[in-house]
Amino acid sequence: MSILINDSTRVIVQGITGRIGSAQTHWMLEYGTKVVGGVTPGKGGSSVEGVPVFDSVNEAVKETGANASVFFVPAAFVLDAFLETIDAGVKLIVIVPEHIPVKDVVKMRSYAIEKGVFALGPTTPGILAPGKGKMGIMPASMFAPGRVGIISRSGTLSYEFAGILSENHVGQSTVVGMGADPVVLRNLADILELFEEDEGTDAVIVVGEVGGEQEEKAAGFISRRMKKPVAAYIAGKHSPQGKRMGHAGAIVRGTSGTVQGKHEALRAAGAEVLESPIHVAQWAKKYNLK
Amino acid sequence: MRLHEYEALDIFEQNGIPVPRRGIAGTMHEALHIAGEIGYPVMLKAQVLVGGRGLAGGIRTASTPDELKEVADSLLGSDIKGLPVRKILVCEKAEIAQELYLGITIDGYSGKPVIVVSTEGGVLIEETARTSPEKIAAIHIDPNFGYYPYLARSLLRMLGLKQQLITAWSDVIGQLYNIALRYESLIAEINPLVVLPNGGLLAVDAVLEVDDSALSRIRFTLPDRVDRIENPLERRGRAIGVTYVDLDGDIGIISSGAGLGMASMDIIGEKMKPANFLETGGGITADLLYRCMDLIMMKQGLRAIFINVYGGINPIHEGAKGVIRYIQEHNVKIPIVAKALGNRQEETWEIFRSGGVHVVTEAATEKAIDKLYELVGPA
Repeated sequence: MSILINDSTRVIVQGITGRIGSAQTHWMLEYGTKVVGGVTPGKGGSSVEGVPVFDSVNEAVKETGANASVFFVPAAFVLDAFLETIDAGVKLIVIVPEHIPVKDVVKMRSYAIEKGVFALGPTTPGILAPGKGKMGIMPASMFAPGRVGIISRSGTLSYEFAGILSENHVGQSTVVGMGADPVVLRNLADILELFEEDEGTDAVIVVGEVGGEQEEKAAGFISRRMKKPVAAYIAGKHSPQGKRMGHAGAIVRGTSGTVQGKHEALRAAGAEVLESPIHVAQWAKKYNLK
Repeated sequence: MRLHEYEALDIFEQNGIPVPRRGIAGTMHEALHIAGEIGYPVMLKAQVLVGGRGLAGGIRTASTPDELKEVADSLLGSDIKGLPVRKILVCEKAEIAQELYLGITIDGYSGKPVIVVSTEGGVLIEETARTSPEKIAAIHIDPNFGYYPYLARSLLRMLGLKQQLITAWSDVIGQLYNIALRYESLIAEINPLVVLPNGGLLAVDAVLEVDDSALSRIRFTLPDRVDRIENPLERRGRAIGVTYVDLDGDIGIISSGAGLGMASMDIIGEKMKPANFLETGGGITADLLYRCMDLIMMKQGLRAIFINVYGGINPIHEGAKGVIRYIQEHNVKIPIVAKALGNRQEETWEIFRSGGVHVVTEAATEKAIDKLYELVGPA
């Protein structure tokens, strides 16, 4: 089993005719993902990597039965295309592009939640379920099938943790990039909940980083709801303190956002804090994870 | 992008928020001239982009021209928290009956704009939030519903204020919210918002940070983003399109993601000291990594370089070609260790090895840093 992606996931690629969209379509198909169509307004009727291209999301969904979408659309056009995708009835959306204005993400998040759509990103490498498929840019060579779930704020560190586990013969059920932006479309706790409920997942690794309060909020969820073991690594111990101006963020959060603050919250919730990424191998061994 | 106080005050004024009479000075004589027009006493405020400026001695009063000369001379050319003071804001010294706080930001967790107010503004506002939460009130704005003035009025009623203050303050909230929307700000803040003896309000400070991702579509004139970066290496990083943070160590880092870059710094920091943080994002080309090499080599006393990249969205084999071209053209002698995994990794390793780069093929960054330490030892 896996979360979010399974055998019935039928993916369309938005921005499929772009340089990155077409290259990533190649890698997703090679990994066995059911990429059933692509969308680029004005390029309908053509094809990329043997996949038919449509002018609109509505048409693509109607013709192909797609139920998921991955975005390689230029940042300035993402909001518009995202709303179009939700209105076309797609229930799982992955937003790979970076540098999307926060004001747009705020609207996207609000609309997706209102319509019951599960969306990830922006600035996410996407989702990969080893042996089943992937939506996004995760490099397949790092992953192996198994029963550990990974959620990461950082794309590159999701590969790093999967790679370390795979080298130690510990596979993954699903690897999820939640996105690295200050506002993301789904919070960490929402994804933890999916892993807690997934029969194919025995334990979860949270890869966080300094700043914000995703990990602190997730700690609340872990202590209240999680029965499966959770390990957490927080990057940024040696990062210089930002030249922060303004107080509103700190007042609203009431948390420091420091690595130490996150460690304390996660430990108190019963999660195991990993001081360095490589320690994940010993943790997996301790729980006899496969 | 953070704006200087004087830049933000101009924007606040254009949008109807009451601000002090003021002028911006780059020399003591300019400051003297401005103060002469405003009338003494005046405030002199160092224009540096860092919080906690007042506690660091960057905000001073001058009651006479002689005093102003002395203060202006000591501020201009000095450093506040490591940043040089090039300009000082000279402004009227307001009579203060009360100091309020007003801030508008995006709450990352709920994904909504939030307006925060307090009746105890000033430098200790975060302390107040912890010790006297009843003096703070906040309201989230539903992005689909939008902002309406009654939201500000009901927010202020939560603080138990008199109607006269509620009326004046909610006007300022509406004006600041409008600025936050139009300038796509991540933070818009007035601290303190001063209540004058006659009951009027005056924004004696202004913080405005604009969303970098929105800069190209904001319709108002903004100062240049690259110019204002003080550190020349960081300015160069911005110009070539990467995030570069200058640090005081001697091990250079190139990483293809922020998380990976931070983890690399953390691991290097256990035994050695990073010279920089550099993150390329998803736009690696041969030319970009050539320029990254050029940038990190500008740092004096570099002992080694660590390259940590993944081929997910990035063509790392192309990046490796740029690194090798740089090494060959500039005859680089210091050790370079590369960990490059993902799509086309074998091809990438071959290219790196052809230029004498030490390639580590295991996933854990710790193993690659062990290799680096073996090559260069402690500082």
